[in-house]
Amino acid sequence: MHIPDGFLTTPVWGAAAALSLSGVAWSARKSEQALEAGQAPLMGVMGAFVFAAQMINFPVGLGTSGHLLGGALLAVTLGPAAGVLVMTAILIVQALLFQDGGVLALGANIFNMAIAGVLVGYLPYYYWGATPYRRAAIFLGGFLSVFASACLAMSQLLLSGVRMPAAVAWISLALFAVTAAVEGAITLAVAGAIERLNPNWIQAPRNTPRLGAGVVLAAAVFLAGVGALFASSLPDGLEKLAERTGIAGRARNLLQTPLSDYELHFLGPQWLGKVLAGLLGLLAVYGVCLLIARWAGKRGRAVQGAASGSL
Amino acid sequence: MGRQARACGPRRGKRESVELHHVVIERWSRQDSVLHRRDARIKLIALGACLVGVATTDPFGWMESLGFGLLFSGGVLAARLPLGALLLRGLVVVPFSGVFSLLAFVTGDSERAFALLAKSYLSALAVLLLAATTPMPALLHGAASLGAPKALVQVLQFLYRYLFVVSEQAQHMWAAASCRGLQFAGSRRRDRWQAARGVLAVLFVRSYERAETIQRAMLARGFDGRMHLISATHVGRADVVFLAGVTAVVLLLRYCYSSM
Repeated sequence: MHIPDGFLTTPVWGAAAALSLSGVAWSARKSEQALEAGQAPLMGVMGAFVFAAQMINFPVGLGTSGHLLGGALLAVTLGPAAGVLVMTAILIVQALLFQDGGVLALGANIFNMAIAGVLVGYLPYYYWGATPYRRAAIFLGGFLSVFASACLAMSQLLLSGVRMPAAVAWISLALFAVTAAVEGAITLAVAGAIERLNPNWIQAPRNTPRLGAGVVLAAAVFLAGVGALFASSLPDGLEKLAERTGIAGRARNLLQTPLSDYELHFLGPQWLGKVLAGLLGLLAVYGVCLLIARWAGKRGRAVQGAASGSL
Repeated sequence: MGRQARACGPRRGKRESVELHHVVIERWSRQDSVLHRRDARIKLIALGACLVGVATTDPFGWMESLGFGLLFSGGVLAARLPLGALLLRGLVVVPFSGVFSLLAFVTGDSERAFALLAKSYLSALAVLLLAATTPMPALLHGAASLGAPKALVQVLQFLYRYLFVVSEQAQHMWAAASCRGLQFAGSRRRDRWQAARGVLAVLFVRSYERAETIQRAMLARGFDGRMHLISATHVGRADVVFLAGVTAVVLLLRYCYSSM
């Protein structure tokens, strides 16, 4: 979901650009060592690979087809930092050469698809990559990557005052879920095939399974994604939601009565806080994820060390 | 025979026209004109001014659209590019913005419906104009000297260099798969899925191996992980005049035009 220029208000694209700038700076710094070892060609060619992979269509059913988007696959093959960098490069080329996504909106698109998309896509693999749930983790990575990106894009549009009826918001959410599931399946299929050809091409997962933390974190990211969307689109709570979707379901009614009765009151100033809270919450989840991951990583190594010491 | 040829030929689809789009832009960007000769950095800054101008002008009615439209059309003419073709290519944003514009229109906000469509289209036109008057390597050098992260610029350079090598290979492999008996229509979904998966996995391996070969060759030639930018261009008086002119027009359109 590439947002073109002209959709986002200045505070939204400005804030997103600032966030992306720091995210890209982080990934550039993390990748510096790899680049000094001469890995730039690898990253560039992998970016070109993702471009080319988008030409190959996978049949989905009902006469439609989907293609790889690549965030989770890049994270699993190149690692999260390099994945962010390569995805950013892809988005820049798409914006400049293919007019796919705006240039001012590039900050938002990079944040949604390169930073959130790749990091969220990597999380399940990071936690479950070495457990028996490995395949499920890769699938979940693909799913979350696309779902989080799409929800973030939707929130930014809503935050910028783009209006849509509740029914449309729900249908888009369902479509996001389908696209995300397709991405998960393709990521799993391709990662499995690559691994069969040469296991070294897939990042080695962590050795210590941390199921509990993984479940909590994946769920948190998922809920934050949905929450950010619905905190903004459904300010009046669940009863109103039920009422509205019920009404929206009756097509004749919808056509006869003024639509403005059923559309959502986006961006009355009182809801602005909720929307911002949703997005900030998502960011906070990121921070917490990173902190817990670092802490758990240290503890995991310590436990391993103790175990091997006792043998 | 015709059917056979179609089955074995490269996939005809959406992406092909996109590729064509890119080839055309690339050819345009290597022509010569007043606009082509301007420094890439100056053009990047001017693009930024135009985009911010379009994004922040509110309300954005037909007067404002006309003003910015004339500015960018003037740019196209100054670059001696075919105006009609460029205006058509800008329509690539319409599928996305059209949906939201329609939503806004249905919910009774026709002003926003028009603004969404006009702003996204005009912004795409401005980006198109930059891409069609500046070769990508020059653009990347310009971005690097404006302070874009070196690591990112390096990845972008390699990405651009190998974009069409790898995508052409993908097309060949897809054609080969169809020649081995894969049919696009009629075959079972499972078979097509597996064929696509196989193509992607092998394409990944070939890309990876190609990258390793490139890396070895570059290391042998003394590559130390840094691209040394040879900046042959400099900002001249014409560049300053160009930037000042564009900024003045944008400011005029932004603040005074519709109240006149």
